Amino acid sequence: MSISIALTKGRLEKQAIAMLEACGYGVEQLKDKGRALVFYDTKKDVKYFLAKPNDVITYVEHGIADIGIVGKDTLLEKSGDVYELLDLEVGKCKFILASLKGNNPLEKVGHIKIGTKYPNVASQYFHKKGLEVEIIKIDGSVELGPVLGLSDGIIDIMETGTTLKENGLVVYDTVCDISARAIVNRVSYKLKKDEVLQIINDLKEGKQYVESNQSK
Amino acid sequence: MKEIRIPQGMRDLIVEECAKKRFAQKTIERVFQSFGYEEIMTPSIEYFDTYQQGFSEVDATEMYKFFDQDGEILTLREDMTVPICRVCASKYANSKPPFRFFYTSNVFKVRHVFAGKRGEVTDCGVECIGLDEKSDIEILYMAIQVMEKLHFKNYQIEIGNAKLFQSAVDALQLDKADQKRLAALIDQKSIVDLNCFVEALHLSKEAQDFFTQLPFLSGNDVFEKAKQLCFTEEMQAVIDQLVSLYAALQTLGVAEHISFDLGKIPHLDYYTGIIFEGFIEESGTSVLSGGRYDNLMQKFDRELPACGFSMKLDYILDALDNQNKEVVQLYYPKGKEIEAIQKADEIRKNKAVEMIPWNRDAWEVRQ
Repeated sequence: MSISIALTKGRLEKQAIAMLEACGYGVEQLKDKGRALVFYDTKKDVKYFLAKPNDVITYVEHGIADIGIVGKDTLLEKSGDVYELLDLEVGKCKFILASLKGNNPLEKVGHIKIGTKYPNVASQYFHKKGLEVEIIKIDGSVELGPVLGLSDGIIDIMETGTTLKENGLVVYDTVCDISARAIVNRVSYKLKKDEVLQIINDLKEGKQYVESNQSK
Repeated sequence: MKEIRIPQGMRDLIVEECAKKRFAQKTIERVFQSFGYEEIMTPSIEYFDTYQQGFSEVDATEMYKFFDQDGEILTLREDMTVPICRVCASKYANSKPPFRFFYTSNVFKVRHVFAGKRGEVTDCGVECIGLDEKSDIEILYMAIQVMEKLHFKNYQIEIGNAKLFQSAVDALQLDKADQKRLAALIDQKSIVDLNCFVEALHLSKEAQDFFTQLPFLSGNDVFEKAKQLCFTEEMQAVIDQLVSLYAALQTLGVAEHISFDLGKIPHLDYYTGIIFEGFIEESGTSVLSGGRYDNLMQKFDRELPACGFSMKLDYILDALDNQNKEVVQLYYPKGKEIEAIQKADEIRKNKAVEMIPWNRDAWEVRQ
């Protein structure tokens, strides 16, 4: 049975393609995209399409895609009813709590405002800490919040920490680690189990291959 | 222009869809009736309290809620099992079990906005109240009959048992919060997070192995491996029960579309024994679900074991053939309505007929 895979556009896409190629998939069309929206594997009965992170989860949840490759950050923010079978260990980064130096939001007495692109992740984090905070949803350049005085701190993704440093922000806590995951539609896992598990196992192999190449 | 809209999650069904849905309903109800089940209808609106009583942990955000004139919280029914248990505990308080009820009713759930999910679906199902797990086979057999009678191209019924996980966490005396988190991670086959969580629980090696392997115990040949992973006699007994259930289905010749998933543990505080789901290619979610819920009736002060399942009719429409009904058209001269009705009555003895007035002074029947 044919399998369709939804890949997250952008950086994760390249890494996922490298993994697929390493374990013998025919991803030529994906590497030379042009204007196409759907791509067919030249070696296996698999088709691919590219989507924004949130949409990857939506497509998999509805069974339009059997398998999806998406970051844990998106899975945490938009929880979907899908199986999460594999950590691809690429696209590694962290959710962090940051603010201006000397302004640890966790130590503030009084009303706390937190700016973030990830309101669910942020409210769960503070809920677990037993803190009541006001979450302000921001769509871009979250670092501006504390600098301009909109929020006392931010919950955001940090990869290298350069952007934070440049804006004079320091990390006060790590919320959790993030990396790319392979997710699977619940029905596909039942009705196309062999095919799905084959791809998951292939990805495991591809992952190791890519890892060993990186470390060389 | 006037604004035309319907609430989030709601849908209109148009002619072909209605025909398919009614066909499915009739087909399924015929199966239920042939097993001696009788119909129950309950109100669309229940007290919120009734649900809270039934489910120990009810997700209030998923229910449509409003107030009555006394300020009590009402809700659009979320499922039919709780109302049927309510009826069974009150109206049938003095009757002797078992009770076999079926229903076809719309149930409601508040959905996230713009998620493409339905807030109202029609549930067509059965509840068998008063018989213990020995009767699981009857319920499963009936579920298979339902899937067969609808002639799906490819379907699968997948069986699990909540008791396996429950007896494991009971033996280890895990607290409720940990149980819940563990169950959710296993049910979602969230392998990465599961491994981290199990490690943090500092369990024995055998317990660790059991929980981390549980999500992978799916298919038809899981029992040997499962037995090796079980670490109490009670757990072994659960596997033995599933093995004999499978053997029974094979004897009955209906095991072709059966598989098992021992890592299927949704709604831990609700299901107490077997859990099963039906899948078809045309739907991205399960279309049939059910299981044993021996603790529910006691919450309505009557201790009775129970088991049931329901089919979500709206999810199977794409998999059904069009149900075209032949309708003939009777064209008649305007002003001859009485004669037209009389003439149509003649045709109606065999076929459906639609009467269409026209400006010509002629009669015509078109197929």
